[in-house]
Amino acid sequence: MPLFVALLLAAPLTPAETLEVVKTIDERQRSSGDYKALAYMESKEKDKTDVVYELVVYRREQEQKFMILFTKPKSEQGKGYLRIDKNLWMYDPTVGKWERRTERERIGGTDTRRGDLDESRLAQEYDATFEGEEKLGSYQTWKIALRVKEGVDVAFPVIRLQVDQATSNVLKRQELALSGRLMRTSYYPRWKRVHSESKAADVWFPEEMRFFDEVEKANSTLILVKQIDLRPLDANLFTKAWLEAKSR
Amino acid sequence: MILVDLQIAARNLARHTKRNVFLGIAIASVTGLLVLLGALTAGIRTAMFESATTLMTGHVNVGGFYKITSGTGAPMVTDAAKVLERVRTHVPELDYAAGRVRGFAKAVADRSSMDVVLGGIDIVKEPQFRKVIRVLEGNLDELAKPNTILLFEDQAKRLEVKVGDAFTLVAPTQRGASNTADVRVAAIARNVGLLSAWNAFLPADTLRRFYELKQDTTGAIHLYLRDASKAGPVAARLRELLAKDGFRVMDADPQAYFMKFQKVNSEDWTGQKLDVTTWEDELSFMSWILSGVSGLTGLLIFVLLVIVVIGILNTLAIAIRERTREIGTLRAIGMQRRKVLWLFLLESLLLGVSGTAAGALIGAAIAAGLNALHLAAPEGVQMFLLQQHLTLSLHARDIAGNALFIAAVTTVASLFPAFRAARLKPVTAMHHVG
Repeated sequence: MPLFVALLLAAPLTPAETLEVVKTIDERQRSSGDYKALAYMESKEKDKTDVVYELVVYRREQEQKFMILFTKPKSEQGKGYLRIDKNLWMYDPTVGKWERRTERERIGGTDTRRGDLDESRLAQEYDATFEGEEKLGSYQTWKIALRVKEGVDVAFPVIRLQVDQATSNVLKRQELALSGRLMRTSYYPRWKRVHSESKAADVWFPEEMRFFDEVEKANSTLILVKQIDLRPLDANLFTKAWLEAKSR
Repeated sequence: MILVDLQIAARNLARHTKRNVFLGIAIASVTGLLVLLGALTAGIRTAMFESATTLMTGHVNVGGFYKITSGTGAPMVTDAAKVLERVRTHVPELDYAAGRVRGFAKAVADRSSMDVVLGGIDIVKEPQFRKVIRVLEGNLDELAKPNTILLFEDQAKRLEVKVGDAFTLVAPTQRGASNTADVRVAAIARNVGLLSAWNAFLPADTLRRFYELKQDTTGAIHLYLRDASKAGPVAARLRELLAKDGFRVMDADPQAYFMKFQKVNSEDWTGQKLDVTTWEDELSFMSWILSGVSGLTGLLIFVLLVIVVIGILNTLAIAIRERTREIGTLRAIGMQRRKVLWLFLLESLLLGVSGTAAGALIGAAIAAGLNALHLAAPEGVQMFLLQQHLTLSLHARDIAGNALFIAAVTTVASLFPAFRAARLKPVTAMHHVG
């Protein structure tokens, strides 16, 4: 490779290019229509038995609707999360009650947050800064720092991304607390694409997500996303009544 | 006349010494037990009051919730200086007030983690705090320095930390952003029962920074009155007057603030609402301890009283049977039915009073002896007693009340056999053989 090409490739991204990369990350994952995915979530916590959950994630992206229904294990069966406007509601079938939680809630008490399973809105919520380039395994990546925009509420005010230069897929993500302490590191080793009719293009989604708690080092969560379905869902799906009915 | 009646009653009791001594011992035992259990309940209540009103509540609290959105309430009082100024005007009974920042976080140490309720205090301004906290290791003065924390011994054991060690507190701010604070253990204090199971204390400013709160924001204003028994009326008055001052005040709800999150978050309002509570409201989650001890005491005393009442009925029935001819003779020479009734009641009253007096004295002596022995309560029991050593609280009025109650029950129990004795016909009674 000629030297000037290498230098050109190694040149830092301009703010506009950085923003474009972040927008691309969001855009590639946006399906425009409905979304249904079967996922498995394995939670490892110190001094506790590992638990594997089976859950179904529902999204209607144009209306920003979001719902999770736990189907396994038996003890969690029927438990669910439903977002209505800015509130995330949790349904516990054992007591038959809904509890209002914040959008930043840990899903099922694991290291997973609602945002990990929801539509990517990085460009909307964060301001991006280019931080350089780095090799991550065999991948050449851009390092991008995201800082939350004024007035936006998110679980992590600072995020560091490592984005594959070839595909614009996020490969590594580090989330920091207000104090600047690293809270969580996530890896996205496998990405998959499906065709979306509503978008009339391919949609990318991380097939595997690994979350490592950086405060309680022994805790981690693995999510495997299977059976993505982008066909339209029932109109009355995103309601408390539907979720309650599913738990019976 | 009453002296003569008393003499007769005493003589009749003395004629059947063995039977009456047994009954007297039973009455004394029940009274003694009632006095002891009453002193134990009072001891727990006193310990609860002394430690809790320093560690987690004032006599009266002006707390409240601030909600950015209707679903996210945080326990805080904004514009605390303005609220305190109005409180000082409305509460002339106020001795002193202290602001306490409230929080909840996960404490993560190198080898372990646990959830803790955080109290942000200004150690310099709360001298009473030092009187309740017994420091085992470290220095309480260090708590004036930023990023320090006071733990109780069980918490330190669970987190596997010592004085000087650092660990991390993790919690979301009110806006939901994750935050952490690295704190150093300044002191480790002796456990104070259930209260020390989850409460930890750190400088108020450290906690404010952790939650990104303004300097003029606190968790609650703890009010200490010159007379704590006035907490109820003061809270009711304060609720009314603060509302008149234009503050939004929550309806009275006798629960601890952390029990109100779900209710508050389900209500459709935003901004600040004040919540005025008493120390009893804030400790309502522990009232089951007192209810449990009181319930057990009640049940035990009821069973024992039933046995005593049966004993009295039986003793008097035997006495009437043995003295039927005597009653007949007395009635024949002109003694009124009312007098017979009175004599039997007096016998029972005399037995009851002497039994309860002896029981109360013995009970009080045992309680005083246990206090003097300074017995260490077993670890599992300390949690509920809220004290390290078994301390019984003796109050003359309570002892007298308990003794009078038992004496009254024994006297009332004798009414039925006394009526039976009074109803005897002289002729039938005189012909009675037995």
